[in-house]
Amino acid sequence: MKTRRWVVSMVAAIGLLTAIAAHGQAAKPEGTLTVAVATFGNERWLPHLYVGAEDVVLKPMYENLLTRDPKTGELAPMLAERWKVADGGRTWSFYLRKGVQFHGGRGEMTAEDVKFTFNTIAKDGSANSLAPEFRLIKSMEVENPYTLTVRFDKPFVVFGNKVNQGLFASVAFIQSKRYVETAKDDGAERLPVATGPWKFVEHVRGDRIVYEAVENHWRATPHFKRLVFVKVPEPSTRMAMLRAGSVDVIEVGGEYADELKQVGVRTLLMPNTSWLYIILGGQWATKPTYDPKVPWAQPDAERARKVRMALNLAVDKQAIVQRVLGGLGTVMGSWLMYPSDPWASDALKKPYPYDPAKAKALLAEAGYPSGFETTMNLTAWPGRGFLPDVGEAVATYWEKIGIRVKRRPVDRAIFAADFRARAYSGVALAYASPLVAPEPWEVLYRAGYTKAGLCLFVEQPKLDEFIDRLAGQPNYTERLRIMRDEMGPWLSEYVPGVAIGAAHTIAGLGPRVGDWPVIPGHMGFHNWEYIGRAR
Amino acid sequence: MWRYLIGRVLQTMLSMLVVISIVFFLTRLSGNPIHLLLDVNASERDQQILMHHLGLDKPLPVQYGLYVRNIFLGDFGNSVLTRRPVTEHIWERLPATVELGLVAMLLSVLIGVPLGVYSAVHRGGTLDGAARVFAVLGQSMPTFWLGLMLILLFGVVLRLLPAGGRGGIEHLILPAFTLGYFTSAAILRLTRSAMLEVLGSDYIKFARLKGLHEQVVLWKHGLKNALLPVVTFAVMLFVQFLGGAVVTETVFAWPGLGRLILESITTRDYPIVQAGVLVLSALYLTGNLFVDMLYSYLNPRIRHARA
Repeated sequence: MKTRRWVVSMVAAIGLLTAIAAHGQAAKPEGTLTVAVATFGNERWLPHLYVGAEDVVLKPMYENLLTRDPKTGELAPMLAERWKVADGGRTWSFYLRKGVQFHGGRGEMTAEDVKFTFNTIAKDGSANSLAPEFRLIKSMEVENPYTLTVRFDKPFVVFGNKVNQGLFASVAFIQSKRYVETAKDDGAERLPVATGPWKFVEHVRGDRIVYEAVENHWRATPHFKRLVFVKVPEPSTRMAMLRAGSVDVIEVGGEYADELKQVGVRTLLMPNTSWLYIILGGQWATKPTYDPKVPWAQPDAERARKVRMALNLAVDKQAIVQRVLGGLGTVMGSWLMYPSDPWASDALKKPYPYDPAKAKALLAEAGYPSGFETTMNLTAWPGRGFLPDVGEAVATYWEKIGIRVKRRPVDRAIFAADFRARAYSGVALAYASPLVAPEPWEVLYRAGYTKAGLCLFVEQPKLDEFIDRLAGQPNYTERLRIMRDEMGPWLSEYVPGVAIGAAHTIAGLGPRVGDWPVIPGHMGFHNWEYIGRAR
Repeated sequence: MWRYLIGRVLQTMLSMLVVISIVFFLTRLSGNPIHLLLDVNASERDQQILMHHLGLDKPLPVQYGLYVRNIFLGDFGNSVLTRRPVTEHIWERLPATVELGLVAMLLSVLIGVPLGVYSAVHRGGTLDGAARVFAVLGQSMPTFWLGLMLILLFGVVLRLLPAGGRGGIEHLILPAFTLGYFTSAAILRLTRSAMLEVLGSDYIKFARLKGLHEQVVLWKHGLKNALLPVVTFAVMLFVQFLGGAVVTETVFAWPGLGRLILESITTRDYPIVQAGVLVLSALYLTGNLFVDMLYSYLNPRIRHARA
């Protein structure tokens, strides 16, 4: 009996060891995952030199203090194993994970590295899109090698969202202080070093970026040995390369969704990744570029609101989502909210109806029975090539209610100058905001808050009031209530622009790509280290 | 001859100065790169710091003066995007462009010249008709479309060749053919008409009367004289391939100089655009010079006239 039990135990132990060995073998990175993307952004690596568009190609090798849970979307630990918010959001303490190493044996990541990164983002001349937020830091104290306390003058209740890997353009990637100071900017840009599951191998500007898996990484050892990004600007070529087996993953627009389906290519749907709307320029009554003759921004607030509502009712949003986005979107009437957000109530989700007759009547009530003349800028943005088509479609709908629309194809660099100078009064523009912050007021903080943002497209004292309240409210449940019951309905009624809705993103996948868990609402590719190899 | 050459070199340098001046001022009219390098919410101070760092805060004539002076000193400046020397970026891309241009030109000549000669000799025959169809197709099919069709056929359906990117010789075949097909058709037509003219001339009739072998008449006496316009065209074509292969480079994701210049235009990376155009115009003008000298070699009448 004893012998039998011993034999059974031995067999079980051998079985277990074999299983572990097999698992270990399966976990060993193998093969190359090749990804074709349209752009690499500005192709910079240091936090004061990149703006944010580099997100897709930087994310494999860099890490942030926090991330978001792929299932719930809530804040989750990454380089910080926990964090504490005190003093109503004025003090944030981050407790760092011990033993996290920088690539190439460049030492352990400590609180000094985090402090250095935050200072670099905030320094004068920084290109980083989060620089204004990091400049709000009053002081930083390194309590010990693994604890950093960040203090603000005013409550910064969502600072956790600024040091978060799970958002588009999460630009506070942690750098090695010692390495960057030794190698200087030029050296650190030629051979960037980080803590992520992939380490840098090669960068040929405008052509390719090559990474290699970090084995036994503290968080996740990638399933593929190499990760290669190739820049393929032409979407048809990306499609062909995927079908030919030259690449494994492609970035592709909704207009190709049907074609991908027809040829039997698998796709990965990333829902609600950007919020699509038409900006109506000129709603800044206090600025020198304000033009009171612009119908939607005229001094008579009610007449201006009627014009903005008419511009909404004139557009068949569902048709735009179907025909321009290939069905990859959800029409919504609320502002900068996604259907899955907890503050998106049923009332807020309801889109403005398509009613050209009522739109025409509203225009007449506002004093424009024969319509008016306006300009629609047709400008493409990286990763959102569909925007000029959306602008064209909206212009066509507006023409049906008597508005005379001049189309103006304009390059992003030119428009960016107009945008900064607010020199686009009376001009409309299709835009898609990626999820750079999970709460809608955080986006409006930059786009409609007169006390902080520099290039706002809408100014309204009531909006300032909402943002003041939300920015100082440390209780998430209360913020949620304000957004759902007060700010959301007010925005729906105020109609700051033409709401279209949430746009989805898809990726084309080759046969070697297995499971790929993605974070809800994340616009660009991410979680490369979790992509499995197909069996 | 030497006086002529020195004159041509000086003329070439003057042309380059005009080209870089036009490019310098045109690029500055197209928008400021800091709007793409900084976030839209960047402060006035951030903008000023970057403008100063890039030297864009200086008056335009001063910027121009510094730029021309630096070029004479061999300094093309740094990319505003990567802040690395422009020459580094140019050298990184030039091999891919030269590789594609050379193979495409070789293909054009290898296809165009023999077919053109054959077509002229067998004028009105079936193969002449086929060659003319080949030429018409080559010149009427858009490069963009042809490239995509070739990718679909050889990359996706037959899976014989890679669909894009740069690598081994197999990566070169489709883009080189796409680029070369259009020009091979042009070379074919040019060779055919030049050969027809030459074959009708008295000295060819005389050579035949002398009893020379037909192949000698055709290839030695006929083609050598018919080649003058073809050589001019081929050399200028090669130079055009270097900078004008943007469409092919884009369709095949080929990391060449044309794509670098195009991307730098969209990102307002002035120094790269300026240096890229300078390199291309230098190649173009040098190509012109080379053709002139080649003319002298191929046509003794020109040589003697210049002497």
